[in-house]
Amino acid sequence: MAKNIKDSSPERVKEILDVIMSYARFDFSKKTTIHGNETLDAIGAGVNMLGEELESSTVSLKEKEQLLKEIHHRVKNNLQIVSSLLNLQSENILDKRYLDLIIESRNRINSMALVHEMLYSAKDLSKIEIGQYVERLSKGIQYSLSKNESDVKFDFNIDNGLYFDIDHMIPLGLILNEIISNSYKYAFPNNEGKITIEMRNKTEYEMIVKDNGVGFKPHFDVKRDSNLGMQLIFMLAEQMDGKVEIKSEIGVSYQINIPK
Amino acid sequence: METLNPPQTALELSVFWTWMGEDGICRTKTKPLAEVTIVEAMENSVAVNSFYKEKKFPLLIDARNIKSMAKEARKHFSTNGRTTKINSMAIMVKSPLSRIVGNFFMGLNKPEMPACLFDDEAAAVEWLKKYVL
Repeated sequence: MAKNIKDSSPERVKEILDVIMSYARFDFSKKTTIHGNETLDAIGAGVNMLGEELESSTVSLKEKEQLLKEIHHRVKNNLQIVSSLLNLQSENILDKRYLDLIIESRNRINSMALVHEMLYSAKDLSKIEIGQYVERLSKGIQYSLSKNESDVKFDFNIDNGLYFDIDHMIPLGLILNEIISNSYKYAFPNNEGKITIEMRNKTEYEMIVKDNGVGFKPHFDVKRDSNLGMQLIFMLAEQMDGKVEIKSEIGVSYQINIPK
Repeated sequence: METLNPPQTALELSVFWTWMGEDGICRTKTKPLAEVTIVEAMENSVAVNSFYKEKKFPLLIDARNIKSMAKEARKHFSTNGRTTKINSMAIMVKSPLSRIVGNFFMGLNKPEMPACLFDDEAAAVEWLKKYVL
């Protein structure tokens, strides 16, 4: 039964404050007791109703997060199915040109699937840490492209705690995939070398990917002679309002600046 | 003029009295310190909808004695997405408690039909008259 506490009693005020503090901790099990028709009863009733609304919004937010996780999971699974289908298809292909095209497509799909996989496993569903992503992506490409006797090493130099949302991660992943694949294909005729990936959080985000390979062929013109992969790098950087600078000195180096 | 004293013919529900006035305005009045949950809200709706088969009518709610109204009940009274015979509602509030409940109802569960809070009964009746068909 409700205690008969006078409207203005400190005990009554404390009771309402306790309930507000419970709500602040997302504990909605408590409610203020309404004793009569006084001002503090009105305040208590208002607090109770705000608690109900907050609880309902919190539940709804959790449901939405769950749904978003489920969507990322399904997108990742579907992309993996496409990747597996391409794998199966490749088993019947003998022509190396077509086989390479399938492997390139599969790696592009895998770079996107990895973003969705990392998003649904992350605490915060809206962003992922690029350092972890870059390492996992590089390993995947290494596994896919390296030949038995190859000895290509990776060197990562990525600022800690650098997070990107999906709108940046998908193009960044695809760009990295193209650059690393190009290095594997063209930079190391002896199957030996190093790929360095740097990522800096400056006034802009700065990504540098370079290899210590043989560099471009003489008279190679990026704009004139570039393949689909190279065109993708420019298109995807532009999608993020970024700029690409390519140099061929000791190996090839790509610097991509992305505004914040 | 006081029109919110339940007549003998009023339907007595758990926490409401509900009746149809001679002026074609339905009235529902909460009992003192009524705690309205979804159960009482639905019981009230059944009673309100029982007065006419086809015709729609306005509703005057006397919430001056209310103690609390649960979220589900507020949602139910908003009539959004459910069939109802009422075409408008005026809610009488007076005490700080009834004002808080009334304002929550109007703010967070805004009814689909014309609805207004009043602290003057005559003004509420006058406003509802235009919805009597």
